[in-house]
Amino acid sequence: MAPSLLYPATQLPPASALALSQQAPAVLRSSPATVSSSPLSALFSAPEKPELWIKYENLILSCLRTGDDQAAHQCLERLVARFGNGNERVQALRGLVKEAEAQDDSALEEVLKEYEQILAENDTNIPIAKRRIALLRSMGRVSDAASALVQLLEFSPTDAEAWSELSDIYLSQGLYPQAIYAMEEVLLLAPNAWNIHARLGELQFMAATAPGVAGGSYQKYMAEAIKRFARSVELCDDYLRGYYGLKLVCKTLLSGGSNKTAKQTDDEFAIPDTRNTERLNELATAKLSEIVRHSTARDQGWRGYDEAEIAAARQLLSDDVAASSAIER
Amino acid sequence: MTWISKSITTLGGLLLAHACYSAREHSALQSLRAASAASLTSLPSVTTSLPLDIIIETIVATFIILLGLVLGTRPLRPIEWRVWAGKIEREGEEGFIDGAGEVNKDYMGNPFSALESRPNFVDIRKQRREFAEWVKKGG
Repeated sequence: MAPSLLYPATQLPPASALALSQQAPAVLRSSPATVSSSPLSALFSAPEKPELWIKYENLILSCLRTGDDQAAHQCLERLVARFGNGNERVQALRGLVKEAEAQDDSALEEVLKEYEQILAENDTNIPIAKRRIALLRSMGRVSDAASALVQLLEFSPTDAEAWSELSDIYLSQGLYPQAIYAMEEVLLLAPNAWNIHARLGELQFMAATAPGVAGGSYQKYMAEAIKRFARSVELCDDYLRGYYGLKLVCKTLLSGGSNKTAKQTDDEFAIPDTRNTERLNELATAKLSEIVRHSTARDQGWRGYDEAEIAAARQLLSDDVAASSAIER
Repeated sequence: MTWISKSITTLGGLLLAHACYSAREHSALQSLRAASAASLTSLPSVTTSLPLDIIIETIVATFIILLGLVLGTRPLRPIEWRVWAGKIEREGEEGFIDGAGEVNKDYMGNPFSALESRPNFVDIRKQRREFAEWVKKGG
């Protein structure tokens, strides 16, 4: 079954994107080609639904991804007919189509120039500013993208999506402290986002296990990672990603952490003692195996998990079993 | 489940209608008797209340309707954040299907997933390349 067209489709697997873009002709046929925005005609025709425009937007994304440029153009035309050329979101979508169709670097430079022209007229056009940053990053000019993004964030510091992108850019450059800082800003704006807590835990774990980390900051990162993963499973029952991270961190601490133990100086970042770590590890193992068992059996009410995530959890659990049986031998 | 609640509500409605009709008939009869008695004896008419069985029928009918309506409501959403979030993660769309077999309109998965997928910053050229490779591999 193809996923619904009402959610943004940027992280779907290729097969679902293909299924979505194959819906394009049906959606285009079943909805009217133009919808008038005048209030008078709205009295006589069926009311327009906001879902339709969201569908068009998501269709453009999946069609561009699968290379169905014609359908993307049709969707874009309808959006232009309804909202006009000056609409900021429509401008960004138009830019997106041009980016996707650009054949070489000079065409991309053209698109970039267009973005800069629009921004010169109106530098509060946030969708276009975001597209420009994404294009810069896509062209490999990562430092330009980062500085543009920092500028954007100075101008609108409550944009959680932009902070998250900044964190991703820093992470791609290996700048873990900066990436963690940006992700913490996201958490300030969305304190209940369980996936962001898990993401921050992953960042802390990556920072801790990166080569060349001093003992003190290793401890700090690991303690923070435990805290973040624990918070994510506190915010969300049976959160596979949170328990996976929790187990991974505890396992690393229990197996190899002892040789890196430095004197604990800061009470705030104290790693829980070995007994508590073991108990956390046991809890995470029990939860993970419960999730894997139910999900593998396709039990009612346990079918929402991602296949790949379940496979990874199974792998982690079997590694654990293999290691413990090796110790017993 | 829906047909149980609907039939109970209908039954309650019938009972209530019956009670109303009985009450009306009763009062019409009473006024007729009072009028005839007044013309015969010129005594002041006695105000009479409804008989007990009609009152009980009305109350019982109301409660039966209430029961039917309560049985017919959609399952309530979890109040606690972690239960609700866990339901989204564990059950996905399946947990939010209403009586008609359609996914609830306001269901949107994890509302914070956009913070990680960042649709406004999408790198469309990379996605195109990856998709083309996936097709080449034989999809």
